[in-house]
Amino acid sequence: MKQLSIMVDLDRCIGCKTCIVACRNHYGLVDHEKSMPGSMSHYLRVESECTGSYPNLAEDYWVVMCQHCKKPPCIKACEAGAIHKDVQTGIVLIDKNKCVGAKKCIEKCPYAVIQFDAPGKFAHKCTLCYDRVIHGQVPVCVEVCLADALSFGEKEILLMQADAAGKKVVKKKSTQSILYVKS
Amino acid sequence: MGESKWIPTVCYQCKAECAILARVEDGVVREVKGNPLARGKMCVKGMAGITTLYSQERLKRPMKRVGERGEGKFVDIGWDEAMDIMEKKLRELMKNGEAHKFTYSMFPHSTTDPKWRFVNAVGGFISTGLPHCDSAKIMAHLHTFGCFPNHHIAPMYYTVPRGGIMILSGRHPFGCLDDASVPKHILDAKERGAKLIVIDPIFRTEAAKADWWIPIKPGGDAALFLGMASHMLKKGLYNKAFCDKWVREGDMDKLAAFLKDKTPEAMSKICEVPAKDIIKLAEMCAAAPSVSVDAFKSIMYGNGMDWGHAWSIFLVITGNLDNPGGQPLPEIAPMAAVAPVPPAPNLKELGYHRTGPNRDKFNHYNFILEPTWYAAQAVKEGNLKVFFASECNPALSEMGSGEWRKAMTMKDKKGNYLLELFVVTEILPSETMKWADLVLPDQTNFERWELLYMPWWYNFGHTAAVCQPVVKPIGESRHANRVMIDLGKRMFPEFFAFKDDVEYYDIELSGVGMSMQKVLDGGALWSPGTVGFRKYEDAGKFNTASGKIELEWRMYKDIGQEWPSPELPLEFRRDADKYPFILVNFRTIFLNNTGAWSQNNAQLRDSVSGLDANPLLLNPIDAARLGIADGATVTVESSTGKVRIPVMFTEKIKPGCAGIIHGFGQTMGKVAARGKWIGDNELIADAGSHLDEQDLRGGEAHVSTRVRIAK
Repeated sequence: MKQLSIMVDLDRCIGCKTCIVACRNHYGLVDHEKSMPGSMSHYLRVESECTGSYPNLAEDYWVVMCQHCKKPPCIKACEAGAIHKDVQTGIVLIDKNKCVGAKKCIEKCPYAVIQFDAPGKFAHKCTLCYDRVIHGQVPVCVEVCLADALSFGEKEILLMQADAAGKKVVKKKSTQSILYVKS
Repeated sequence: MGESKWIPTVCYQCKAECAILARVEDGVVREVKGNPLARGKMCVKGMAGITTLYSQERLKRPMKRVGERGEGKFVDIGWDEAMDIMEKKLRELMKNGEAHKFTYSMFPHSTTDPKWRFVNAVGGFISTGLPHCDSAKIMAHLHTFGCFPNHHIAPMYYTVPRGGIMILSGRHPFGCLDDASVPKHILDAKERGAKLIVIDPIFRTEAAKADWWIPIKPGGDAALFLGMASHMLKKGLYNKAFCDKWVREGDMDKLAAFLKDKTPEAMSKICEVPAKDIIKLAEMCAAAPSVSVDAFKSIMYGNGMDWGHAWSIFLVITGNLDNPGGQPLPEIAPMAAVAPVPPAPNLKELGYHRTGPNRDKFNHYNFILEPTWYAAQAVKEGNLKVFFASECNPALSEMGSGEWRKAMTMKDKKGNYLLELFVVTEILPSETMKWADLVLPDQTNFERWELLYMPWWYNFGHTAAVCQPVVKPIGESRHANRVMIDLGKRMFPEFFAFKDDVEYYDIELSGVGMSMQKVLDGGALWSPGTVGFRKYEDAGKFNTASGKIELEWRMYKDIGQEWPSPELPLEFRRDADKYPFILVNFRTIFLNNTGAWSQNNAQLRDSVSGLDANPLLLNPIDAARLGIADGATVTVESSTGKVRIPVMFTEKIKPGCAGIIHGFGQTMGKVAARGKWIGDNELIADAGSHLDEQDLRGGEAHVSTRVRIAK
């Protein structure tokens, strides 16, 4: 099966959130004039985990976006049939025109990444920049990543690259189509 | 969709000036990204710049104060009236022989800034942060090896070889104040096999990526590096060949004598880094092919000159000057003068610089500029009557916010303000504007032309950056540079005979064979060719009086400061019983310090894409001792200020330290005013009346503050 993917390198992600704002700008998710903090949609978020106690600490940062699941619970949850997994790319897509705004997908998403547009009454989320990647471009977050922590490509190729670089997949973060790797 | 294209310009969400591309569609900026022609990176602040550009809170028309200063009440006026007010007051000042009581507080990139030209034409003073945070390092490196590697000339991380060591000692390069490409370069160097060592009382993103985090007592950097130097000399681990060739005769013997009792064990007591770790780091550095040291916050503390001196000594004895992976020694690329040039006032004669209680002692020192940062004291002493401010927010950044506010509202017996006219230029509402008489709507980097030039200054070496307008300006906003050129044309036509700002910048750039368009064609950044390495070998000398590296600072013999003191800043050594915590105020990538344009940017203050809280950070060990619960609101008090703030426990701070993120506390603007957050400068002592030794040993240092915490 074809599956496009983003590989998040935990050795490099610094949690700077550049990708979040670049993605918002690209998809026009923010009303620059009026938006207030706490009210803006976002297709990515940064998480972190600090372990240990002073002074022996370790901390990882990573981004969470739609994981483009192998068997997406959102597709099963959507009674309107508005969500599908694209056969050519493995990208999970929401058809805005078919969406009835039931929010079932949001309830069932294990990664809490689906956003809801209240005025338009539709669910929306990361498309892995479908319109860009089918024309050979990389997703916006990958292009702008400050730390070059994100890579884009076929999942199998990314896995090979991770292996060559001596990095292991951190399965605890996700076992779906987005890869989290670390030395 | 209409026409859409990517246009090169420069970001100005902070002072790093990264080269960017802005995608403009139907006359609107839709997205931005780093320009691949020039380093190719842009950080979150820059990405959020579009929100600053289009915020409904943009100041769109000049405004005049109504009511008292501090009330923040204004009425719209026209530009003509605003210009008349400024011209009338300045002419009056000049007529009374008080032109030097005019000061413009700004962040100029050099004397080539048109605002600076205007100040000189009037006969006023420039007040700038340039030497404010840099002076100690600049002077230390100038004294020792005759070069200007200030804190914005970061090590060139892309030159660090495998096995090289990158030391960050109180420095946050992942915050992108040098260039947005720096985090990538550090991470790339790590992948090549370089080691990252982070010395910091707070565990931040750099520490998370480091091979070794060394928590240190704030201000202990000089002690740590002297301890390392002592060990290296004692064990013969220093670069003898380099020192034999380049260090002034006799200095190494004197250094050895000075360092004899600065043992790792003795220095450990000061900096609280275990002696075995000082030895381990010294031996790692001695064995490495290169070592770079970068510092920022630590060089601002009250012992900045000592730390700068210890740092310089360390670079010299390890031979890490102008080598790949070491300390770059930048060169200067002079712009052409726009003749005739207005003469600068005689600052030595007229200056009110350094208005501390020990003012006379400053005569011992030479500084690169004569900053007049302590505006509050100058107003109180009658030395500041007209004050302009651009791209700074003194209400939140001047040391001692309380005294600053007091000075702005002080009146004479007739009921007139001592500060007769206060003008600010702002893009978005700022705390400072509450006290202003005139508020002039400024432009973002998307709306203006600007040549950003720093001969040896910013962006690890780039000399010129060119900002061009990519969309029409919002409202009646005008860039501050253009306003000062227009005012200059009215008042001093002989010095402002050029057509406009673009022609002015083009004349300047002609000095290096460039023009605004040529710089834009190259990606909006320009620097003169190769940086080169070990340039002192070509020259056969260093740029010092002796031509050699001068470890002993003989010019300070009369005050006994030929060698660096390992002691903590005086402010950290006294009143430890009364104020047991050291305040560690620090920055993040999300906010441009106190800059109003990031504080009022909704994306940068959104918790998903930015930062929306600055609680007091305390180690749980301290919190337990004080009986404070996580999340409780506490009182934090210094010798001069007091705030109430919620506490957040974290293992990421050294016990004995209290952390506060800098850049909060604004009450103007809907975005910034949300939440119960405070400005850390409320706690910092007023520079004019309180600081004494700090200034002497710190160059232009500040922010050494102790606090106590109570429920």
